[in-house]
Amino acid sequence: MSGHEFHPLVKQLLDGDITLADLPAELRAEGEEALRLLARVARTDVTMPAVTWRVMAALERRRRRFLPWLLAPALAAAAVLVLWLRPGSPPPSAPVVTVRFVLVAPEARQVSLAGTFNQWDSHATPLVRTGPTGVWTATLTLPAGQHQYAFVVDGVRWVPDPGAPAVDDGFGRRNSVLTL
Amino acid sequence: MIALLAIPLTVLSMQQAADSAIAQRLAGRVPPQIASLVEDLGTAAAAHGLPIDPLIQKAIEGSAKGVPPDRVATALRVVAMHLDTAATALRDGGLPSDTLAIAAGEFAISAGLSGSDITALARTGANAAALTVGLRVAGTLAALGVPPAEDIGLVSVELRAGEPASTLLLLPANVQAEMAKGATAAQAAAGLARAAAAQARHGPPPGRGQGHPPPPHPPHPPAPAPHP
Amino acid sequence: MRSGSQATDGDIVRAVLAGDRERYAQLVERYRDRYARYATRMLGSVDAAEDAVQDAFVRAYDQLAQCKEPDKFVGWFFLILRNRCFAERRRNRTSASLEAANGVAAVDRSDGGAETAEQRRALQLALLGLTPDQREVFVLKHVEGLSYSEIAERLSTSVPSLKMRMHRAYDKLREQLRDHT
Repeated sequence: MSGHEFHPLVKQLLDGDITLADLPAELRAEGEEALRLLARVARTDVTMPAVTWRVMAALERRRRRFLPWLLAPALAAAAVLVLWLRPGSPPPSAPVVTVRFVLVAPEARQVSLAGTFNQWDSHATPLVRTGPTGVWTATLTLPAGQHQYAFVVDGVRWVPDPGAPAVDDGFGRRNSVLTL
Repeated sequence: MIALLAIPLTVLSMQQAADSAIAQRLAGRVPPQIASLVEDLGTAAAAHGLPIDPLIQKAIEGSAKGVPPDRVATALRVVAMHLDTAATALRDGGLPSDTLAIAAGEFAISAGLSGSDITALARTGANAAALTVGLRVAGTLAALGVPPAEDIGLVSVELRAGEPASTLLLLPANVQAEMAKGATAAQAAAGLARAAAAQARHGPPPGRGQGHPPPPHPPHPPAPAPHP
Repeated sequence: MRSGSQATDGDIVRAVLAGDRERYAQLVERYRDRYARYATRMLGSVDAAEDAVQDAFVRAYDQLAQCKEPDKFVGWFFLILRNRCFAERRRNRTSASLEAANGVAAVDRSDGGAETAEQRRALQLALLGLTPDQREVFVLKHVEGLSYSEIAERLSTSVPSLKMRMHRAYDKLREQLRDHT
């Protein structure tokens, strides 16, 4: 191995598969060097506030081109949530709603969602970490009605949704409530 | 004589059906003693026209959360009690037995409302489907911290106005929006109730339906008033 | 969070398709900066990246009716932006220039006191020294925070192949940055 290649274990560290503590002592310095490199990348950021109005201005100029399909028969109107019927199944009498669940948990290794819609199965609905800031999300299609749920952090900690109403679960914890 | 025999047989077959449904849904999900308790409570509930789903859900939830069976049993008895309270409250409000409305009432009670609150909502004269949504929304508002008086006041106004379910379902989000501006939960609900009552008296506020202003002149002459 | 209090991407796409054109701005706001990072790392120039992101959003709007799964708008948009970035790279292979690296380094926020402008510039140059494929997997994992399986799904490739690409990128970055660490 040439001198500028990271040890395979250090690469696993960079991949997030192992931690610094898992490295043998002789590789710690190399591991720390690698993490410093990564930390420098992860902290960098770029923002482009002008893009929004530039895009919308460009669309305004194109508006006429879109008139035909703007006037075409539309999908169901959107409110805060969009109710719509899935084509084919379920039947028209069973409206469903798309719901995006979000939890900010920077320290979590895994987050899932358990509730009345999945028989409280803490393995059934994992959330996906969407960025380096620890935002976990899942988007579900749920039948209209009422659902109770909680997030399960690292498979053991039941956490109510901090932004949703909650009720006593009868076991000394809180369930979040979603009324659709 | 046949009729006299038919009644207990019907009850018996309903109980067997309830037992079977419960056993099927709980199989492999809860400890045997909890399954047995849910069957007992569920059979009694079904015999009184109460829903069994809240019991099954609570048993599954407790076991999934790793709650000790004795605590699950306590929670189940509380649910059974709430179902009974909700059914009585709905009957007092003039609503005949409706399992969905009773389940919604059970939720409202678990969220902090009382039997008399449920009766008050039932007395709005809303039909069972609308009342079911109203009870669930009222429970959600209670879970947001809206006190019972303001909660029932707001939901009652909407139910009396015959607002559709989609409007009722927006109430929690509307209350949250007002709270985000600095109002307390009570102030938010009271303000929304005043606005809804005013709207019921005078029609929609300016701005609503802006995209469709009435034509300056009616396209057709008004229809003559019907004869009394 | 409710969950419902924030419209999903699918909600917005359907609303836009139903005629509520202004709501498209919500999608732009939501993903603009996330993909600003991606495009900037890929193109090595903030100006070029801003043009690419803007152009990709306009193209996505033009083709919105073809977005088969509105709830997966972001993955679909990403492919449009990616194509735009790769095309830009093919058109202008000189963008891996010192000037571009300076431009990117200048907008990078530094919250580490020990970090110097020189180190950031060196890092950007090192990223530009990777092949586009290596740079892309590095950016998606370590700038966007996606997992290997998410990247594999997005790029329609396998995790082992991505890891191989990434491990080469690590070595190359180390080699290029050995005087700046």
